[in-house]
Parts: sequence; C-alpha cells; structure tokens
Amino acid sequence: MKPTRSDQVSSFLRCFAVQGSWNYRSLVAGGLANAMLPLLRRIYAGNPVRLRAAVERHLEPFNGHPYLCPMAVTALARLEHDGESPEQIDRFRSVLRAPLGAVGDELVWATWRPFCLLLSITIFWLWGRPWAAVGIFFFFYNIGHVWLRVWSFRRGWTEGLGVGKDLRDPPWARVLPSIKSLNLLLIGSAVVSVSGLVAPDTLNRWGVIVALTVAALLGYARPALGERLAASLVLAAPVVLALLGA
Amino acid sequence: MSELDVSLGLLAALVGCGAVLGLDAASWPQVMVSRPIVAATLGGALLGDAASGFLVGAVLELLGLGHAPYGAAVYPETGPAGLLAGAGLAAGGGAAIGPFLVAVASGWAIGWIGAISVRMQRSLNERLLAAGDLAAPTKRLERRHRIAMVLDALRAGTLTAAFAIPVMWVVRLAAGIPTIGGVVAASALLVVGMGLAGGAGAGGMRRRAMDPLLFLAGGAIALTLIVTWW
Repeated sequence: MKPTRSDQVSSFLRCFAVQGSWNYRSLVAGGLANAMLPLLRRIYAGNPVRLRAAVERHLEPFNGHPYLCPMAVTALARLEHDGESPEQIDRFRSVLRAPLGAVGDELVWATWRPFCLLLSITIFWLWGRPWAAVGIFFFFYNIGHVWLRVWSFRRGWTEGLGVGKDLRDPPWARVLPSIKSLNLLLIGSAVVSVSGLVAPDTLNRWGVIVALTVAALLGYARPALGERLAASLVLAAPVVLALLGA
Repeated sequence: MSELDVSLGLLAALVGCGAVLGLDAASWPQVMVSRPIVAATLGGALLGDAASGFLVGAVLELLGLGHAPYGAAVYPETGPAGLLAGAGLAAGGGAAIGPFLVAVASGWAIGWIGAISVRMQRSLNERLLAAGDLAAPTKRLERRHRIAMVLDALRAGTLTAAFAIPVMWVVRLAAGIPTIGGVVAASALLVVGMGLAGGAGAGGMRRRAMDPLLFLAGGAIALTLIVTWW
C-alpha cells in the first residue's frame, strides 16, 4: 500500500531526530529505521512478517549526513514499496552511504554552516547587536537546513534508485565555490575583528595592529601550531592569572 | 563561594538550557542553537550581558571551526560549553582580557569534556539498541530511540550542572586580578589571533591558490576599518 500524506509528514518529522540513537556499531541506523517506520507500516500493512524483515534490514549499519538522511529514508522506502528484492535494497543501501555523507559534509559542515556563522560574527562586529547577529545566523542557516531536508525527502521518494544523479550533480554545485571564496574573506576579517574586540586597553594602537597582522599571517601559515598555542594559552591562563593575583 | 550569588532559579535555567542545547547538537533537531555564538549569548543574557556572551562565543566558534562532525569524528560539544563560558564571563563582569581568557579556557575545556560524555552516551546507545529484538514489536525500536534522546538531554544537563558554579567562580576570580602590562597583553592577543586563524583555517577551506589572497584581503579590510574608526 502507498504511504499517505500523513505517513510522509510523520516520517519527515522523525528525520529531525535521525541521529537520536547514534552509536558506534550501527551508526545512524536506529534513527533511519525509526524515521522509515511510518512508511514501512503502511507499505507492509497486514503483513507483519515482511514488516519485521524490512525493519531488521534497515537496522543494519548505515551512515550519512543527517540533513540528507531523509533522501535515504524515502528512497529506501520507495524500493520497499516497488517490491525490489532484499539483495537489491541492501546493495543500494551500501552504495548510497558514502555519497550521502560526503556531499552533505561538504555542503553543510564545510561551507554553509561556516558561512552563516562568519556572517553573524561580521554583523556583530559592524552593528554591535548580539541578538540581531544570532537571529540572522539562526534564520539564514535554518532556511538552508530545512530546505535541504525537504528537498532530499521529496527527491528520495520521486527518484528512488535514481537519486545518484542528484548526488552527483546537486542543485547547489555551481554556487558552492563562490560561498567557499566568501568564507575565506570572512575568516580573514573575523580573525582580525574578533581579536581586535578583545584587545586589552593597556595595549597601544600600533601594538594592536602589529599583533593582529602577525597573528593572522602566522595562524594562516601554520594552522596546527596556532591552534596548539592558543589551546595552551587558554588552558594555562587560569593558572597564570591565579599566580599573578597571589 | 565569596561574592558569587547564584540563585536556584538561575541554576535551574542554566541546566535546562544546557540540556536543550546538548540535545540539539546531534540528537534533535540540529537547528544549531548549540553553536557557541548562540549558546554563549544565551548564557550571557541569563546573567545580564548578552554582548560579552556573544564575543566569547565568537572566539570559541573560530577556534573550533575546523572541528566538524565528519563521519564518526570526535568534536567539542559546544552547547553547554558555550552557555557556561558566556554565563561565566557575564558573571565575571564583562570582557576584560583576564576573565575573557579564563572564560574561553573554560568553554574549550568543557567542550572536550563534553566530547568524552558524548562518546560514553554513544557506547550506551550501542547497548540500548543491541538488547532484545527491536523489529518485533516495532514499538520497541521507537521506545529505545526516545530513551536514547532523553539520556542525551540528561547527560548535557548533568554536564552543565557540574560545571556551572565552578566556571562562574573561576572567571570572577580572574576579574579581581590587576590589569596586565602591554607586552603580556600583546603576546596574549597575538596567540589568540593565531589560534583563531589556525582553528578557522584548519577547517578544510584552504585548497585553492587564491585562498590565501582572499584570507589576507578579508584581514586587510577589517584592519582598515579598525584604523578608520579610531
């Protein structure tokens, strides 16, 4: 039986909790099967044996970017609905895993989220209003986030086995390099502006300029060293300050 | 606990927020209220200084930009960490360099302690899903999935409860220390700036030949604006 509109809404809402039971054995599979349940119950209505077999199949290890997992949920449900063999479903499931992770990581964690965060930091620096900056981050980030979930949920059901071409040439492919370039510009600006905002009053202007310039250049050239030094400083700060105060 | 006056209501609000923010990071709904700029602003606002909260959140954000949840990677848990760093700085009286560094240190450390608690939680989830037959009846799978999420919120709330008072206390202690001199201040600023550039640059965003030029252009624009505003 074909899933109803309400089954689809229920499944889509469960996709927001797809990582709710993430673990080191089956990874995101518990959440995936949980999100598929409203669809599978309809597809296998009146056939508990096949329902059980399908749930067991989708509890096998699976991973993917959480915002693109809706595509796996509906594409796999579509295969179950179309009566594909368990072997075919298993093969498709294992092929889908790597691109769902790679495409989502590249788009969301490496590009869209940093862009929205850096934009928010820049707005705070220019405007000085913390809640406006937070609101802008939340609004823009989640427009992209929810759109991606809706898009992937719909494409999974309509394309089924054919979702591969969506993942090979996604609609955002052409704008991604431009956002990445903007991110680099915003990182340069944010490093200098945020450090400038915390510059102590005891430091004169030239001291601030020299420190910020050298910091940005060295930090960019040797990122691992910069990170380690900063981590050491912030972790040593309480001890040093306690000694200064003693 | 000299000078520090934390009401039970405030502590309950922090723990409640910490639980929700911890849940958001991975379990539900991932709308990214768990990011340091949001969590630290909220923490600062609960103690009356949202702007200082945002600033400490921005530093934590840049330091951690390279630590994304790729695959099964371990990354700092930013929700409770940002919340407490922001609350700590606001409790310490604002963004002077001493308390500021201590607030960042606290946020950074709690983030990584949080990462350990997330690992433990995920190992627990493994046992939760492995026990018994989840497919029959299917309601058992739904119940276990919900239990895992409740446990995640409890974990984040407990983490927040454990560190709330110590963080506010240590940041306030740093606020009582005399102003530091120019050389120490310049060194601190240099290292903070390097760390921010390093943390942000390590995020897999430095691949093309033009990337260094874009980074430098962004830095130059910001520096020009700072000098113009003086």
